[in-house]
Amino acid sequence: MAKKLSRRLVAAYCADQLLAGNDDVIMQLAAFLLDTKRTRELELVARDIEDALQARGVVVADVASARQLSPAAQAVVTAFIKKSTAAKRVELRSDVDERLLGGLKLNLPGQELDSTILHRLTQLKANKV
Amino acid sequence: MGPQLQTFAADTANNDMFASLGIDWKMLIFQGVAFLIFVWIMAKWVMPPLLKVVDDRQKKIEEATKAAAEAEKKATESKDEVGALLKQARAEAIDIVETAKLEANAAVEAAEARASKRAETVLANAHDQIAKDVIAAKKALHNETLDLVALATEKVVGKTLTDKVDEKVITQAISEAQ
Repeated sequence: MAKKLSRRLVAAYCADQLLAGNDDVIMQLAAFLLDTKRTRELELVARDIEDALQARGVVVADVASARQLSPAAQAVVTAFIKKSTAAKRVELRSDVDERLLGGLKLNLPGQELDSTILHRLTQLKANKV
Repeated sequence: MGPQLQTFAADTANNDMFASLGIDWKMLIFQGVAFLIFVWIMAKWVMPPLLKVVDDRQKKIEEATKAAAEAEKKATESKDEVGALLKQARAEAIDIVETAKLEANAAVEAAEARASKRAETVLANAHDQIAKDVIAAKKALHNETLDLVALATEKVVGKTLTDKVDEKVITQAISEAQ
């Protein structure tokens, strides 16, 4: 009977493979989770992979904005992430959501920055007495 | 000389002095005895009842007089007592009226004090209520303003925010985060 691999171990392996340029590891991970009936851990594994990548100097950040980020804005955001996380490389996963109205929402492993206009309006409404 | 004088002269000559005066002494004796009998009868049977009636009547009159005097005396005394009572009653009435006036004044003053205190309480409560209403109105206005500002911002910003402005907003947000 095969020994059950820990989630962190799997995440570390995937992170190493991704940094080595082996994108097929994602398919292997999916097959592994299906085979071991651990599909419920998908979200957790993905987060662990992000943590492992961050430990290796690569930060995957989710950026949501009302409009597609311009190259200049992407550069600003990347510089900010590198400075705040001491990362060597930054991967941005951009998402456009018009409901945000303006600004951006930045999700990093372990931290979040929400400067969208929608968030500010929500905070404004929360100041009701 | 007339016939009468002639008769007189004849009788004077024949009888004594009584006869000359026209008195019949026998008849006089008889009448005296009859008078004594009459007096005796009167004294024996008639006078006592009459005297008794008179005495009773006199006694009653005296008693009535005495009673009247006593009544008058009592009336006088009663009048004095009534006067004294009236005087005392007047004095008591005056005292009662004075006391009633004092009590009425005290009651009026107490009522005025209570009314004044109640008015002050009502006024204070009204001020408190007004202050509370003002605060509540300010809060409601504040909240409505927030809603309106948020709604207006959503409506305006969604249509007017350009890419350039958005980029500036993002840059500024990053700067603030740093």
